[in-house]
Amino acid sequence: MDQDLEKEPDEESTVLIWLTGIVFFAAIAAIFIIVPTEKTEGPIQRIMYLHIPSAWLAFFAFFIVFISSILFLWKKEREWDIYAHASAEIGVVFCSLVLITGPIWAKPIWGTWWVWDARLTSTLILWLIYVAYLMLRSQTDAGSMRARYAAVLGIVGFLNIPFIHFSVLWWRTFHPQPKVISSEGFGKGMDTSMLATLGVSLCAFTLLYFLLMGQRIRLERLKDEVDRLKRQKLYSS
Amino acid sequence: MDNFGFLFAANAFVWGGIIYYVFTLKQRSRNLEKDLELLKETIDKESQ
Repeated sequence: MDQDLEKEPDEESTVLIWLTGIVFFAAIAAIFIIVPTEKTEGPIQRIMYLHIPSAWLAFFAFFIVFISSILFLWKKEREWDIYAHASAEIGVVFCSLVLITGPIWAKPIWGTWWVWDARLTSTLILWLIYVAYLMLRSQTDAGSMRARYAAVLGIVGFLNIPFIHFSVLWWRTFHPQPKVISSEGFGKGMDTSMLATLGVSLCAFTLLYFLLMGQRIRLERLKDEVDRLKRQKLYSS
Repeated sequence: MDNFGFLFAANAFVWGGIIYYVFTLKQRSRNLEKDLELLKETIDKESQ
């Protein structure tokens, strides 16, 4: 068995933990102390510094599922299946946070928790697809068929993401228009300190993704090792 | 417009959610490490 499975995270992980912690501390300080309060929405607008990075992390995680699933179907290597599974779980966690923080912001601003507009509905569909992906992985017996079905679902699910991104441009939706990357140019619709705060928060969430991926991949390898030893014990007895 | 309650709720969900997820990862990892140790011990005993 690999030695790195037996022990707790190594030096590289420790550096990543510290770096993530420091960037998160900077993000929290920027969100609650440095960045000015938005004039129209008031303090509630600060939710956006958590909502947008959560959405970014979820979409990035599903992008990794998409790439890993393609590579798994192509190369048939278990390693790509591990990456896809690990990333899908992280994506679902952060997509859930998007679907929770969005309505919390919407209630005082729109006067309702939820509207069935294109952006919100397509995000909910994305979440349901990847919840189905995780259920498929947990319900079916382990094996290459399960991994193949999951890979197909992982690829199909990702095709929803461009639709989510452009939905606010293609239809009239309640959801705010993009301000960071808009037709006016990069960050033109935002105050500089707000843009910087969002940038720091995006960095913090991206680092967190890599940290969680490291842990989640290790977990999957531990599971494989346990399964291997169980089979070995079964055959030897 | 203040709405500090909503701001607090959103933060509680995000930070609470992240902490809970990290905790479950650690817990699952610990359980698997225990299973692994147990299996290795059993296999070692059986092979002796």
